[in-house]
Amino acid sequence: MAPELKINKEDSIIEFAGFTFLHINVMDNLSVEKVQFHSAVILEGNDRAFIRQIVRRIRSHNSADIYLKPVFILKGINISDPMVNKLIDGTLYSLEQIELIIPEVERILTKTKDLHFTNSISFEAQMIEKTISFMYTCEISDLEPIPYIYSSNNYSYPILSVNFRQRDEHIALDILDIAEREGIFSSTYVDRIYMCPSCQGGHLTYREVCPKCGSSNSTTEDIIHHFPCAYVGPLSDFTNEIDDQLDCPKCNKRLRHIGVDYDKPSVLHECKACDHKFQDFNVKAKCLSCNTDNLVEQLKGREIRKYSLTKKGELAAINGFVSTSKDIEEIIGTVKFDTFITMLKYEIERLRQTEGASNLCAIHLSNPSQIYSKMGSEVQKVLLKDLVKVIRSNIRSSDIISFQSSSTIILSMNEIPQRIAKRILKEIIDMLKRLIATTFKDIEVEFEYEVIKLDYKLSPQLHIQQLTKAFG
Amino acid sequence: MFEELLDNYLRFLGSLTVGHFIRLFWFYIFFEFMRYFLLEFFVLNLWKLSKLWSKKKYAQAKKEFHFEFPLVSIIIPGKNEGKHLFKLIQSLNEQTYKNTEIIVVDDGSDDDTPVIGRDLERAGLIDVFIRNEVRGGKASGANTALRFTKGKYIVHLDADCSYDRDAIEKIIIPFYLDKDVAGVGGNVMVRNYEESLVTTLQAIEYYDTISIGRVVTSYLGIYRIISGAFGAFRADALEQVKGWDIGPGLDGDITVKLRKLGYKIKFEQEAVCLTSVPNTIKKLTRQRLRWDKSLIRFRIRKHKDVLIPNQAFNFLNFFAFLENITYNLVLNFKWYFYLSDMLINYRSMLVNILITNVLLYTVTNFFKFVVYSLYRARTNASYTYFLIYIPCMVFYFGYYLRVVRTIAYIQEFFFKQSYKDPWNPPKTSVHAQRMKL
Repeated sequence: MAPELKINKEDSIIEFAGFTFLHINVMDNLSVEKVQFHSAVILEGNDRAFIRQIVRRIRSHNSADIYLKPVFILKGINISDPMVNKLIDGTLYSLEQIELIIPEVERILTKTKDLHFTNSISFEAQMIEKTISFMYTCEISDLEPIPYIYSSNNYSYPILSVNFRQRDEHIALDILDIAEREGIFSSTYVDRIYMCPSCQGGHLTYREVCPKCGSSNSTTEDIIHHFPCAYVGPLSDFTNEIDDQLDCPKCNKRLRHIGVDYDKPSVLHECKACDHKFQDFNVKAKCLSCNTDNLVEQLKGREIRKYSLTKKGELAAINGFVSTSKDIEEIIGTVKFDTFITMLKYEIERLRQTEGASNLCAIHLSNPSQIYSKMGSEVQKVLLKDLVKVIRSNIRSSDIISFQSSSTIILSMNEIPQRIAKRILKEIIDMLKRLIATTFKDIEVEFEYEVIKLDYKLSPQLHIQQLTKAFG
Repeated sequence: MFEELLDNYLRFLGSLTVGHFIRLFWFYIFFEFMRYFLLEFFVLNLWKLSKLWSKKKYAQAKKEFHFEFPLVSIIIPGKNEGKHLFKLIQSLNEQTYKNTEIIVVDDGSDDDTPVIGRDLERAGLIDVFIRNEVRGGKASGANTALRFTKGKYIVHLDADCSYDRDAIEKIIIPFYLDKDVAGVGGNVMVRNYEESLVTTLQAIEYYDTISIGRVVTSYLGIYRIISGAFGAFRADALEQVKGWDIGPGLDGDITVKLRKLGYKIKFEQEAVCLTSVPNTIKKLTRQRLRWDKSLIRFRIRKHKDVLIPNQAFNFLNFFAFLENITYNLVLNFKWYFYLSDMLINYRSMLVNILITNVLLYTVTNFFKFVVYSLYRARTNASYTYFLIYIPCMVFYFGYYLRVVRTIAYIQEFFFKQSYKDPWNPPKTSVHAQRMKL
């Protein structure tokens, strides 16, 4: 008997052959967290921007339960965006075709089960791990750059680049360099791009400008040399308004034959802005992102390469990736995330018996890619150490701190009311902001925080999911 | 042999009466001694006195110049001059007068000049670098540069020269001394005077004919050539004459063109430029043949109207031309006449006459060199260095240069050789010849 297709319109769920599909067709109030409770996602809509945004939100999520989920598009429109096409697992033309995608969903979910994650607190290591685990589940062996107009580099590696805001996409290139050095990828040359030295943007407009004032507003004329009298001047000096002939303004002779009585040895450019006359333009590249006008010699050149997953890369995808150069060792005053989960389990057990009031808190850096792109791993380490120091000095010694990721710090605040925990956390955030403002002057850090009361009926994992769902 | 010669010579001297002396050495006495010593010495003293009298006027002109602080455009046209550019720019950046713009024109160089020029332009050491892919000649190079100038005054330089720190300032001040001045020539000295005997003799020649000779002609109002190595012009006057015409000899030509418009031309002894002169006799001969041909081409041919009384007749221009033609062309041939006179009439005494001539010229040269040191602004070497070379000047000036000049005049007068000079591209010379320019 053929499996039955059940559609629950109220909850936007489609069930088929033992799999549940989250059917997304309205963006309002969509919580991407719901994705983790389903086998796959089916997107439906006529708005290309809507489709692109949902796909990006899923694939850029921090949780593997979300970003690795198979995503399909129920096609009402033709999706021409190459980035979206690289990030989805297939298309359907009607829900009757759902049967066709079942093997793909099954395969991806099975492969996802093979994976182990290391929860590295190095941002770069996390990005590498995310990329290679996606490649593993989707059986992609090559990470190919695609020319992409919405990318600040003009080239995009969809699986990796999706994690960055447009202006930070250059970080993807740094991360790929690290991965290659670690032996995760081997690479071949594809192209070379030039980036603005100020903002790393690749959207540049090249102009010939006046070497004196930099204006691109100029006129160009041929210079004429009249042999008999050695007069040299622009064409306009010779132009005769009456009969359109050329007459020498010095000796009044008519110019007859180029190469015989005159020639054009060079050109004259005149800047309309500063009246400077010159022969050779400067070529400048104006960055459309930050408006900086750069001499082409100052542009930062980078190679765009195609990356292939090595055997070591495949193993790292399965076993979890720990960078040898970029990973940051455990920070004093914190415990490993696995240990934190175990201790949380004990605390939940304790609450079941005592009915006390304990809290789970999270502090999240909203813009990690922007922050980490501006600092090396050493500075990154100093920043994290400083953050932990401030937090530690404001909580009791029995409370525990851990890093869920390089951007999310989880801490326990046991045996205090939730409102007090919230107040303490708010004070900590204010102190952290002040600390960063004085220590790292040109870096702007945005924090989010959340406090939840522990519920002995829920598992530690559900608590963590609930706590971090708002952080996207 | 020598004793017999000496004895013979002493007897010749003993037998000389005043009338006899004048008859035998009339060329020296009436032309050389009168013009190049007595007149020169007299005018030099007048000039020195006038300089003392006008000290206040000079200070006022200097003040006015600094108050106005005009933009001075320095133009440097040339072919294959890249190797000299950096040194030249260095000496220009050292100038006491700072409101300048530097425009370099590369006239179809086939060496590294375009690369060097562009580098200097990019580094901001020169303001404009223009490259003409096809060579057009010195005049078109200068006219191209002129097209890019914005200054009130234009200073024309040669790339292989270098300049005193105050040279630009000194060459511009005369424009503020007299509003009719449209061109000022700088004082050119020889940088490589130690390189060979040829360069040493040219150094002595420059001290005499430029540092002193041009002071005299300038004072008399008959100064007729602003050297291409260092000359300053009023931009509006250059605009009136539409820049330079085809060379060789374009330096003298533009000076005449300005004089014909009624402008005054001055020489500034204290604006010093050092240049490298030809270091072999072959190169020097080639240079002088080119220079001397321009007397025929420009004075006798192109600007002969200066000598003809008409509406635009100007006595000073006429006198300047006449003096130039007389002392360079007429006397050059008159010297041969003198030689023939002696050969025909005093053949038996010829050796003694020649020895006396050499002695007369040498003594005069020594005297002039030492006494004129009081009238020179400065030299770029010790005077004593040159003293032992002074006797050679008789042969250099009196024989070598005279012969070269004679050849040049004949070549130009009868064969119009200057139009075939590779110094200028044939495509332009052919037109100059056709149009009798």
